[in-house]
Amino acid sequence: MPAMPTTDRPRFSAALAFLVAGGVWFLVAGLYGLAGAVHLMAPEFFNNIPWLVFGRTRPVHVNTMLFGFVAGSLMGAALHYVPALLRAKLWSPRLAWVSFWLWQAAVLSGPVTFAFGITQAREYTEYIWPVDVCVVLAVGTLIVNLLMTLARRGESGLYVSVWYVVGAMLWTAALYPIGNIMWRPQTGAVPGILDSIILWFYGHNVVGLLLTPLALAAVYFIVPRITKTPLYSHTLSLIGFFSLAAIYSHIGGHHILQAPIPNWLRTLSVVDSVAMIVPVTVVLVNVWMTARGRLGMLWNDPAGRFILVGTFWYLITCVQGPLQSLPSVQKVTHFTNWTIGHAHIAVLGFAGFIAIGALWHVVPNLTGRRIYSRRLISLQFGLAMFGLVGFFLVLTAAGLVQGQAWQRGETVYRALPSIAPYMILRAMLGVSILASAAVGLYNLLMTVHRGEPIENTLAQEVQA
Amino acid sequence: MKMTPVLLIVAALLIFWVSTFLAVLLPAVTVSDRPSPARQGVQWSADVAAGHDLYNRNGCSYCHSQFVRAIDWEGQRLAQSGDYAGMEPIILGTERTGPDLSQEGGLHPDDWHAAHFVNPRHTRPLSIMPSWEFLGDTAVRQLTAYMQSEGGRDADAHVQDQRDYHAQALGAYRAGPDRNVRWLHDNVPAVWRDMPNPYPATESARERGKAVYLQFCVNCHGLVGDGQGSAAKFLDPPPLNFTTLRRNLAQGKYIGGIFYYQIMNGVTGTAMPYFKRELESEKIWAVSNYLAVQFLGYTDATLEPRGIPAAGEPAWKNSYTAPTTGPAREGAP
Ligand code: HEC
Ligand code: HEC
Ligand code: HEM
Ligand code: HEM
Repeated sequence: MPAMPTTDRPRFSAALAFLVAGGVWFLVAGLYGLAGAVHLMAPEFFNNIPWLVFGRTRPVHVNTMLFGFVAGSLMGAALHYVPALLRAKLWSPRLAWVSFWLWQAAVLSGPVTFAFGITQAREYTEYIWPVDVCVVLAVGTLIVNLLMTLARRGESGLYVSVWYVVGAMLWTAALYPIGNIMWRPQTGAVPGILDSIILWFYGHNVVGLLLTPLALAAVYFIVPRITKTPLYSHTLSLIGFFSLAAIYSHIGGHHILQAPIPNWLRTLSVVDSVAMIVPVTVVLVNVWMTARGRLGMLWNDPAGRFILVGTFWYLITCVQGPLQSLPSVQKVTHFTNWTIGHAHIAVLGFAGFIAIGALWHVVPNLTGRRIYSRRLISLQFGLAMFGLVGFFLVLTAAGLVQGQAWQRGETVYRALPSIAPYMILRAMLGVSILASAAVGLYNLLMTVHRGEPIENTLAQEVQA
Repeated sequence: MKMTPVLLIVAALLIFWVSTFLAVLLPAVTVSDRPSPARQGVQWSADVAAGHDLYNRNGCSYCHSQFVRAIDWEGQRLAQSGDYAGMEPIILGTERTGPDLSQEGGLHPDDWHAAHFVNPRHTRPLSIMPSWEFLGDTAVRQLTAYMQSEGGRDADAHVQDQRDYHAQALGAYRAGPDRNVRWLHDNVPAVWRDMPNPYPATESARERGKAVYLQFCVNCHGLVGDGQGSAAKFLDPPPLNFTTLRRNLAQGKYIGGIFYYQIMNGVTGTAMPYFKRELESEKIWAVSNYLAVQFLGYTDATLEPRGIPAAGEPAWKNSYTAPTTGPAREGAP
């Protein structure tokens, strides 16, 4: 069971800064998401307001959620628990602040540039070239910091969470320049259909080799700590880690299955999307077996509840994922809101819930203060859960309605009235998720400023 | 197996690069960028390139796709990898909140696009596409140029058709309302001209026709059918004022077949789009009856020649009498 180190007088660290910024980005990106949802419900609500037009708010929403809220929060938590797991101090807190500012500058560029039509436009690679440089430098400095910390560790073994965090950073450092075609700064693209093949290799791996490993790292760290049980199986950990890297990384073709790409690439993408069942099952069995008989402890812990439910969302996402990779299923689901439903349960339900859980788990140690209000965490959980379950049902239904209408030969325009009610419901449910973000941020800020100081963390840790 | 830093770093990177080799490098060396027949020799004008840029920068790609699939009903041919030769970036799209645009060229004339970009509700009353008026006239022109280029060489042929018929339509429109209607009707195949609406204009049929009219036609032809919908100020020739048809019935009594044909087929060269994909035949007959009764005060529904009535048809007697103004004279008001 990994132990948490204690510092007597915690300073406001880069780790905490990442988490606070993540909370802010959750709210900001949620507002943009809501603007998009309102547009799809009432297209003239923000008529002719350039920076609120759908085509410009959508990339702000998506990138800010992905990079600002989810990845940012998970990296912040990792900056705290990786040194802890290695029984070392972070090699350079100052370098961590450099990473922090580079990363936040990149995320901030979203609302600033996209809203004015300054973008590289390919989905998930919208950030313009100078911002790409910030991202790569942020990841690069994090890698240096992590590896130097690793080199000075007091613990000889490397815990699973460390593998995942180091892996995620190494992969992202390689993946990001490839996906963003950084060697062609003018367009950030290569000519022809190859561009889409590279784009979706990357787009898929942003969630698969950045968000997923960071989230799983947090799960592996937190679950045994809350249930106070040792990790179930080292072998399963190894299989889960390497099979994720091997399989997830080359199946991005399933995003453009119906586009004119080579047949062998289609086959490879579909077959290995189904094979994704292996890494997912292995990890979930490992985590749930670790917590067997003690799921109640997870549920009753404010952070553990988010983590536990996050693992269930992971299961649902990864049952849906292979299913919707099948050509016969994509016939109906591709191009529809079905995929938007998948994206939300994946990025919010799985990675986002785990980011929130990780936040509440590490914040007391980062601040030296108790959580301001556990009831607000319950409220935050309830609001997010209500909104997300609703999103999943509503968007999946809307997707099926669209897909089947098109199959019958109805035009996109004809099918619009059929999805209108779902778009209204989605906007309403979005308010619930937004409220969850607001409650969470309030609780976090109150914890940082007003949380009851923890007198003797060391003593408590020893008892624990 | 014990995890060590070296094993971790080496193995993680090795696996990543194997995957990258499979999913990126292999396609990079094997996928050809040879232009497809539709793309061969296509040169983008400055306006088209600017429009493509606007398309990307304004996130049109989040709602529109750029490839036609085997299972699609839209588009005339399947996408091929060579359709994108040399284009950079190409954004295929992952959502179809709006229709595929890869073969949009020539589907509508430029004036339709102008009205549609300023406010899509002008031409499509229920559209949820954003208004792009704020981009300004130049941007709208460039976006239109890009839309008209979509589909490569096929598009060029279709755009040329639009131009040719547009010249004819404008000439007819400038020659006065009756000449205009004659031009319109002369281009309807003869078999359709002497054909009445075979279905009764019952109240419920007209209600259904009205629903169709409000969903598809109203902002062009106007609430009262005078052609003064909100789109009119962008369109040249403007939407038809249906009341001018009263004195232009074929043989003094037929209009149903003409309506059906025009609605099904559209009037290429004018903003009047085809509805053959959007409306089933019963809906077209219903809206035809609605136009006739509502704006002409007369319908030829169920007049001779007629066949066996469709099963379950309500008993209905056509009590409308054809307008007595007789065939239109040249220059009549
Ligand atoms: C919110 C999603 C959305 C965005 C963003 C969007 N559109 Fe659309 N678009 C639609 C919908 C829905 C339709 C179908 C209804 C209609 O014709 O307006 C459509 C229709 C169209 C059509 C007409 C297709 C036809 O032949 O019927 C064109 C052309 C078009 N869009 C171009 C664009 C361009 C160019 C942009 C970017 C400047 C854009 N759209 C941005 C949703 C969108
Ligand atoms: C984008 C604007 C627009 C829309 C939408 C539109 N029309 Fe038209 N319509 C026109 C124009 C323009 C003409 C031809 C005007 C001319 O050439 O003088 C026309 C012509 C017609 C004609 C030809 C009449 C004749 O006697 O030849 C009919 C019928 C017609 N429209 C019916 C409809 C119906 C029904 C709908 C809806 C289902 C509809 N239109 C939607 C613009 C539109
Ligand atoms: C605050 C409530 C939210 C609302 C109202 C909302 C709304 C939306 C809308 C309207 C879209 C565009 C859908 C389309 O193009 O048709 C979208 C896409 C997306 N949202 Fe959200 N969203 C919310 C919360 C979140 C959260 C919390 C996350 C992640 C943590 C998230 C991640 C995404 C992603 C990844 C996409 C892209 C989906 C795709 O391209 O398939 N959203 N959202
Ligand atoms: C077993 C694993 C998974 C498989 C096989 C899978 C499969 C897929 C497929 C086939 C699509 C494209 C659907 C379409 O466009 O028709 C898709 C989209 C998406 N997936 Fe997954 N998925 C998996 C797990 C995940 C996870 C863990 C995440 C996030 C953490 C995720 C996030 C997304 C997002 C954001 C999209 C939308 C992409 C876009 O169109 O913009 N997926 N997934």
